Amino acid sequence: MIKFLFKRILEFIPVLIIISFIVFSLVFVAGNPVALMLPEDASQEDIERLTVALGLDQPFIVQYGKYMLGLIQGDFGRSFRYNTDALPLVLERLPATLELAAASMVIAIIIAIPLGVWSATRKNTSMDLLATGGAVIGKAMPNFWLGIMLILLFSVTLGWFPVSGRGTMAHLVLPAITLGTGIAAEMTRLIRSSMVEILSQDYVRTAKSKGLRDFFVVYKHAFRNSLIPVVTITALQTSTLVGGALITETVFSWPGLGQLLIQAVNTRDMAIVQASVFIIAILVILMNLLADIIYRILDPRIKYS
Amino acid sequence: MAVLNVEDLHTYFKTEHGIVPSVNGVSFEVKEGETLAIVGESGSGKSVTSLSIMGLIDAPGKVEKGSILFEGSDLTKIGKKEYRKLRGNEIAMIFQEPLTSLNPLFTIGNQLSESIKLHQKVDKKTARVKSVEMLRHVGIPRAEKVFNSYPHTLSGGMRQRVMIAMALSCNPKLLIADEPTTALDVTIQAQILELMKKLAKEHSTAILLITHDLGVVAEMADKVVVMYAGQVVEYTDVYTLFSNPKHPYTKGLLNSTPKFHEIEEELESIKGTVPTPTNMPKGCKFNPRCPFAMDVCTMNEPALNETSYDHKVRCWLYEEKEAVI
Repeated sequence: MIKFLFKRILEFIPVLIIISFIVFSLVFVAGNPVALMLPEDASQEDIERLTVALGLDQPFIVQYGKYMLGLIQGDFGRSFRYNTDALPLVLERLPATLELAAASMVIAIIIAIPLGVWSATRKNTSMDLLATGGAVIGKAMPNFWLGIMLILLFSVTLGWFPVSGRGTMAHLVLPAITLGTGIAAEMTRLIRSSMVEILSQDYVRTAKSKGLRDFFVVYKHAFRNSLIPVVTITALQTSTLVGGALITETVFSWPGLGQLLIQAVNTRDMAIVQASVFIIAILVILMNLLADIIYRILDPRIKYS
Repeated sequence: MAVLNVEDLHTYFKTEHGIVPSVNGVSFEVKEGETLAIVGESGSGKSVTSLSIMGLIDAPGKVEKGSILFEGSDLTKIGKKEYRKLRGNEIAMIFQEPLTSLNPLFTIGNQLSESIKLHQKVDKKTARVKSVEMLRHVGIPRAEKVFNSYPHTLSGGMRQRVMIAMALSCNPKLLIADEPTTALDVTIQAQILELMKKLAKEHSTAILLITHDLGVVAEMADKVVVMYAGQVVEYTDVYTLFSNPKHPYTKGLLNSTPKFHEIEEELESIKGTVPTPTNMPKGCKFNPRCPFAMDVCTMNEPALNETSYDHKVRCWLYEEKEAVI
């Protein structure tokens, strides 16, 4: 187990180097941010002076080299806008995003597991069609639209929950539902199709032939088997979750990483964009590692090698 | 007394192409300690018959008609809960594929003690002791170790032994074995059959053996039911079947089995294939493949008649002879 983890963590290094290169290139191509940093009436001279001062006049490879040198020391550069180091700023926003992501995952799991299993055990009945249809609608609804509709109904009209911001549990409810709905829908469909396949397996018939109650046949013998593909695919979708979080945070003014990142993109605050994307990439990689560990726990046939 | 008495069983499947009568009026009985073999090609309805007895026919399939008397009570009329009490306890089943019939995510011990705990209402410790004992009983070496291992670490033959241990753990009155040796290689086949025979004898368990292998029938069975296209075409004891087969289909099956002393001859086969349920021929269902087919065979379906003592055949050849005599 420790050897396996060590090997996987070593594999992170090339992935992170490639990500740093892509992120840096994208920001580089986006153009010189100096114009946005100075007042509109700044002279050409001022612009050039600042460009040189920030080292933005140097060739790509030199800039990237400096950037990488900084990265190795944990220095992601300084935010132009906040005039502080980028990394602490990003890390400060991370807990809010993690809180939102975790809450929406919990909502998704609470909805998807019973609904997916229920739907699979009633395959092709009208109830199954209803659940599958609901999942398609849930998946098709864009996050920003659902968020706005929820605000309209529960905050503006009914006044049950705050419109935006973070602080109490009540603040968390609507953003978590907004972000959780899409994930729940996708998970429901996954669990359903996986369960349908597993329920026709020979060992499920064996379990039935032992005289076990349906509940045990379904939840002990079938469900755990059906989770293996679900865990893998859900982990692969972490990036979708992050994408959804960006939009949801903006809709609800949730002070998370997503909101910071979107603002940084708008103001071309390069250091923050780079640091945020880097942190998000690490999160995605960690989720995949977690999935790897989980399905190794679920399935004794997979060996640590 | 008969442990199992199946009477005029009809199991139908509702499909997009209409109703498929997979089992169409099957009757037979199995006495205590007796082994009855059901023989037939794939698609003849043998497995559906066994699953009907287990009550494991899932939608869109359904037992439409007939009765399944197990120790006097009709299984087609009892409730779900009562059925569960019988399953794995009084009636147990071994399946064809030992490789896929065990859950890959649980240890052998977990799966074996599961039914012991359920039906014998014992605690975990006792169930463990009984399970290990059962594993030893079916000839598994290092039973303690196997108890804690996962199915994928065992060979096919070992897994089938585990399945047998599981099926016999509650001393069932009836054991249904659906092609128990088909997936195993020949030497292991003989061992498994021997084991089943031995254990069944110890507790005078009745066995319903589903197979397409006449070698297995000769080895194991007391009585034989030959099935074709969802119906019984011949029903007699094993000696009569091999010495005096009557139905052309049975004869065909016997001729298509390799024999030692005729090793140089070309193996015969029954021409054609089993008709699909949606495309059943009129009259006798075997008539398109039958070398003796007559006009009457294509028009009317023969009944299952007792042509001699304890020998039933569904064929016009014998109906006519009977009628003449």
